[in-house]
Amino acid sequence: MNKQQGFSLPRGWGYASLASLIFISTWAWAVRTENSLGISDFFTGWVLFFVIALLALFGARKRLPFLPLGPASRWLKIHVVGGFMAVFMFWLHTGEVWPSSFYGQLLTVLFYAISISGLIGLLMETVFPSQLTHTKMEVIYERIPKELAEIRNEVEALVEECTKKNASSVLAEHYLETLRWYFQRPRFFMSNIYGSEKPQHWVHQQCMILERFLNEKECKYLDKVYLLAEKKRKIDFHYALQKMLKTWLLIHIPLAGAVMVMVFWHLMVIQVFFV
Amino acid sequence: MTITTQERPQRWDEPFGSLMTDADVERLFKVPEISGIEENKFPSHCSLKGILKNDARIIKYSAGDIVIREGDYGNSAFLVLGGTLKVVLFPGLPADLLGRTTLKKKTFWQALKQLWGYRKFPEVRNAKKIEGEPLVREGQEPGIAQVFLQDVPTVLDQNKTASLGKGALFGELAALGRTPRTATIFAETGAELLEIRWQGLRELRKYDEGWRRIIDERYRKNALTAHLRATSIFSHLEDDELQKVSDATLFETYGQFDWHLTYNKLQNQDKISGSKDEPTIVRQGDYADGVLLVRGGFARVSVNRGNGQQTITYLGAGDFYGVDEIYRNWKGEANVGMRVTISAIGYTELLRVPSKIVEKHLFEEWGKQGKAERSTKKTYKSSRRLQDSIDRTLSDGALLEWAVSERLVNGTQAMLINLDSCVRCDDCVSACAAAHDGNPRFIRHGKTFENWMVANACMHCADPVCMIGCPTGAIHRSMSGGMVIINDDTCIGCETCANSCPYSNIRMVSINDNEGHLITDPQNQKPILKATKCDLCADQVTGPACVYACPQDALKRVNFQEIGFDEQTTGF
Repeated sequence: MNKQQGFSLPRGWGYASLASLIFISTWAWAVRTENSLGISDFFTGWVLFFVIALLALFGARKRLPFLPLGPASRWLKIHVVGGFMAVFMFWLHTGEVWPSSFYGQLLTVLFYAISISGLIGLLMETVFPSQLTHTKMEVIYERIPKELAEIRNEVEALVEECTKKNASSVLAEHYLETLRWYFQRPRFFMSNIYGSEKPQHWVHQQCMILERFLNEKECKYLDKVYLLAEKKRKIDFHYALQKMLKTWLLIHIPLAGAVMVMVFWHLMVIQVFFV
Repeated sequence: MTITTQERPQRWDEPFGSLMTDADVERLFKVPEISGIEENKFPSHCSLKGILKNDARIIKYSAGDIVIREGDYGNSAFLVLGGTLKVVLFPGLPADLLGRTTLKKKTFWQALKQLWGYRKFPEVRNAKKIEGEPLVREGQEPGIAQVFLQDVPTVLDQNKTASLGKGALFGELAALGRTPRTATIFAETGAELLEIRWQGLRELRKYDEGWRRIIDERYRKNALTAHLRATSIFSHLEDDELQKVSDATLFETYGQFDWHLTYNKLQNQDKISGSKDEPTIVRQGDYADGVLLVRGGFARVSVNRGNGQQTITYLGAGDFYGVDEIYRNWKGEANVGMRVTISAIGYTELLRVPSKIVEKHLFEEWGKQGKAERSTKKTYKSSRRLQDSIDRTLSDGALLEWAVSERLVNGTQAMLINLDSCVRCDDCVSACAAAHDGNPRFIRHGKTFENWMVANACMHCADPVCMIGCPTGAIHRSMSGGMVIINDDTCIGCETCANSCPYSNIRMVSINDNEGHLITDPQNQKPILKATKCDLCADQVTGPACVYACPQDALKRVNFQEIGFDEQTTGF
């Protein structure tokens, strides 16, 4: 694959420049209108409406992958740039960060919530993928329960075998008292999100405290359990990050629906009573 | 401790034809083409009788049966024992008669129609169409199906044909050269043919002078000159010069023709150990005795590094190596040996043009035509490029090393995912399902190296081993786009392609009727299976839906031969 030659503005920056130009033009127009004692709110409101509509269209585009409406990657860049533009356009339109009317406040809360959720989503989509890659393993989110069940079965079989062959129940007792909790389901969700090393330390600690109570043969079983616990830790990490990558949209999209409904209502009220 | 033992598997444990008997072999010895073979030239472990019994089979064809199809990949040759066959001459039979599909891009409206044309159940097929008149009939060998032409007189009227009678041998070049069949041949009358698989053919060529002469002469006549002409170093030669080069060229094959059959098994057992087990073609430091032209398969180019081999590049069909070393020897430089080791990846078919011929017909010609200086510069440049590759750090070359070891270099449209950008949203999978009857044609999972994943999606290989042995020709290379596609209508669900794919990228699926009920075979109540795989969304206006749907631009379809391995991260 050849690198692109000659001067070309990266597409993301191109869209950002275009968005800035539109915003500055709208602002200039609004200032000019206000200076000539006109009302700029209608104009800025319509521009804001079109920007929000464009943002909402990304969801529709995702549901129509077989139509030649442009690659999704282009739509995402437009969506991100449009999202930032919408915030500034919102402030330009309302003229304040926090409106005084109840309806305005409700709309603002929803608008800020969707903007913040979008920003968090963008941040996660930027940071999480490479963190997942660094685990050196890949697991499909839907297969995680199956993977965990397999690990759990494997660990329980090892513990059972160790108990039978060595006539010692230390490993089995420790499993029942402590490790079973860990192997039952994904753990350390928040620690994984924050990138804390707590899960790693916990696994290491809980396996190492056993060492002095086990003989050489039992230690071999413990080593195997430790390896499986480490594997599970990585799967937990995938579970936490992939869950966040999937579920932030469950907040963002319903909020988008609510904002669109309120915007339509706002538009209707303005058209009926003020125009 | 109990030890389980079993007899060591032998070459002929699985004979080609399960119905071949000693009487059949005796009968074959009365056929002139077989009786002329000197039996005593064959070693005891590979006797002529053994070859005929285990590497060959007698097949009877009815009038209209297609024996080979243009464009198919086959691993066997045929000798006509009786009856008449017809070869369909250019331009050949239309795709539908060959059991193939012609893909047309959907219009915008047809694409839009998919929105409400969604079926409730995946893999829905028209059950009546499946029950309709079959294009395929059961062959005499178990599991062998034969496709037939329904209206032979019309085919004969509408196409130019040539006849093949008793004693004719055909299909040997495609079988040995792993190239597509160049013509369609069907039985005009009832016919009896001896089908010889490539292993047997290889031995016949090796031990019998007559068969070797026939095969080599045919190859020289039909394919070699064209191959040399298409190679840049020989392209400027006059016809008579080229003929002399062609006459002196040697044919060589390395590795296993059917490497794909064992590759999966070995890989699962973690027994693929890279260049160590690959057959060596030339060794670093050896005298350069000829230019090597790759005709089929792939070859690894590596240099000694410590106690191992570092892969610096690989050669595919059409590539060549050795001109620089021979040129420097010819110019009188002392002790110029091969700078690299070349080994076969899986299977490699080579042409070796001896040094003397290269010196006489290439270098001397360069000198006469005043091209010496330009050619020296050209040779110097390619030599410099090679040196740059040799000088590459281990870490810079790791991606290439991995791609070659995993044999991914076979892919022309591999699905490469940048895991540092991929948010695991599965929009690619959903888009694929939306474009394919609600069932995605790939799995977003596969081999990974650093931040790169090659997902389990058909790579549309340069050497499509999946196409070898398809009984109906349902899996074929599209004439328009070159992608490997499956004609669902003619796929009989035999799983040959799925078992052959060394990358496990073809999946067998059971099919449903409009109500979501499984469509089953009325005879045994088993579900009807169809082979499915990525078709690069050949009928979609958007191109591959997976690429189009990826919001992060993390997914690309790449040709491993075109990736600049020098540029880290493949220039995404």
